[in-house]
Amino acid sequence: MTRDVLQEKILTILIQDFEFQQPGLNDNLRDDHGFDSIDAIELLAKIERVLGFSLTREEKEKAMEIRTINDILDYLERIRQGSGR
Amino acid sequence: MKRRVVITACSAITPIGYGRQAIVDSLCRGRSGVKPLRDDGLLTGHIHSRVFGTVDYPIAYEFNRSQRKTMGPVAYYACQVAKDTLAASGLSRDFIGSGRLGVAFGSTHGSPTVQREIYKTFFQHLETEFSSIGAVDYLRSMVHTTAVNITRMFGITGRVIASSTACTTSSQAIGFGYEMVKYGMQDAMLCGGADEYDTTTVAVFDNLLACSVGYNDRPARTPRPFDRGRDGLVVGEGGAAVLLEEYEAARKRGAPILGEVIGFACNNNGGDLILPNLKGITSTLRLALADAAIEPAAVDYVSAHATATKMGDIVESQAIEAVYGQKPHVTGLKSYTGHTMGTCGAIELIMTLYMMAEGFLAPTLNLEEVDPRCAMLNHTPGVIEATTRIASIQNFAFGGVNTCLLVKNGSEVG
Repeated sequence: MTRDVLQEKILTILIQDFEFQQPGLNDNLRDDHGFDSIDAIELLAKIERVLGFSLTREEKEKAMEIRTINDILDYLERIRQGSGR
Repeated sequence: MKRRVVITACSAITPIGYGRQAIVDSLCRGRSGVKPLRDDGLLTGHIHSRVFGTVDYPIAYEFNRSQRKTMGPVAYYACQVAKDTLAASGLSRDFIGSGRLGVAFGSTHGSPTVQREIYKTFFQHLETEFSSIGAVDYLRSMVHTTAVNITRMFGITGRVIASSTACTTSSQAIGFGYEMVKYGMQDAMLCGGADEYDTTTVAVFDNLLACSVGYNDRPARTPRPFDRGRDGLVVGEGGAAVLLEEYEAARKRGAPILGEVIGFACNNNGGDLILPNLKGITSTLRLALADAAIEPAAVDYVSAHATATKMGDIVESQAIEAVYGQKPHVTGLKSYTGHTMGTCGAIELIMTLYMMAEGFLAPTLNLEEVDPRCAMLNHTPGVIEATTRIASIQNFAFGGVNTCLLVKNGSEVG
């Protein structure tokens, strides 16, 4: 799955499930869209379905540092490269 | 320190309507909110009772995603009536977040709809590899979900009491809220209860042979409190909230006084968890009178718990006669709504406040031939003009919990 395809899927989730209005890739998720820690956990569950595999606890804890959509895409790339999944 | 406690705002979503006008209209016209039981695709096929006190009208909720994400259906009812009540109260945002306003709110068991979704995931072996329980599922389903969704939505920082005692849930919430204000722990309390559409509750009462089954083809003819032909209760849904305030503060800010809570009692039968108990109920009513420091003769209306079970109505009739005699008018208001479980005490209090304000009393619906064992009471004979000074709202729950709230007409408060 390319970064562009992942980006499209993440944007679709954020717009449809989290009701983001016109999300920008470098928007601050919390300040600009009211995204909080509960949302982050929910998003990770959805991301697992997109990826087709489960994230480890350590991987999920690292996701708590994410601030933007670009951060999400970077994070996913690192996971896929690091694990070979 | 003992302070007077008044009701300054309220709202109710009930099977017979949402808001004062719709509810009063239904009471005056004898309109039932009992409808055919909706299919849930799981239990309805196994339940003998096919009737339910149904909220079947659209409600224009305006909750944003951030608010909705921690709410199951029960919290929608709770937050909507809380929102109405706070809006009607005119309380300032500063006061609401001051810590001097608390919340006493509950439901029978949180959100069974959400709980069912969680268990369905397990039993259908779906999503077994990934996180199958959402991060917010607990927040949406937990037993105190109504109380804390209200605090979150409105930024309320005072005490939280999340009562959960089945049919006395909201009467307990109001009573405990009254005590919080009366004894100076809080200056105001937002109190009430809610319960959502749920067939689990119907199945429980059905298994105990306590549900109505003989009027499945004529839902509006049941429940029939005190009637010879009664055959059990009808489960229902809804939400209701009242705002309790310390009297002097309410008067100073010019708040409308809908009523005054002058007494409350809550006790337990100390034994059987299901059977109605004459000694326990009678004691509750007398304890409330003692709390209010009034004589039984001062009570001129009784909103009976009256679920229309075979034994419950008889025992309650005996208790009413033993304590109040045959003077006060008596109505079983569940005859209109069905038994809205954790909401019933708050709904019946609000119905009583509306009738007090409008100068009438409604009769028990479907009471066509009074059971001779309940005939010693002064059953409200029809929609009658009446000046009610003091009313008793009584509720009794599985677990042997009994409550009684004594309320004075708002026009008499001064």
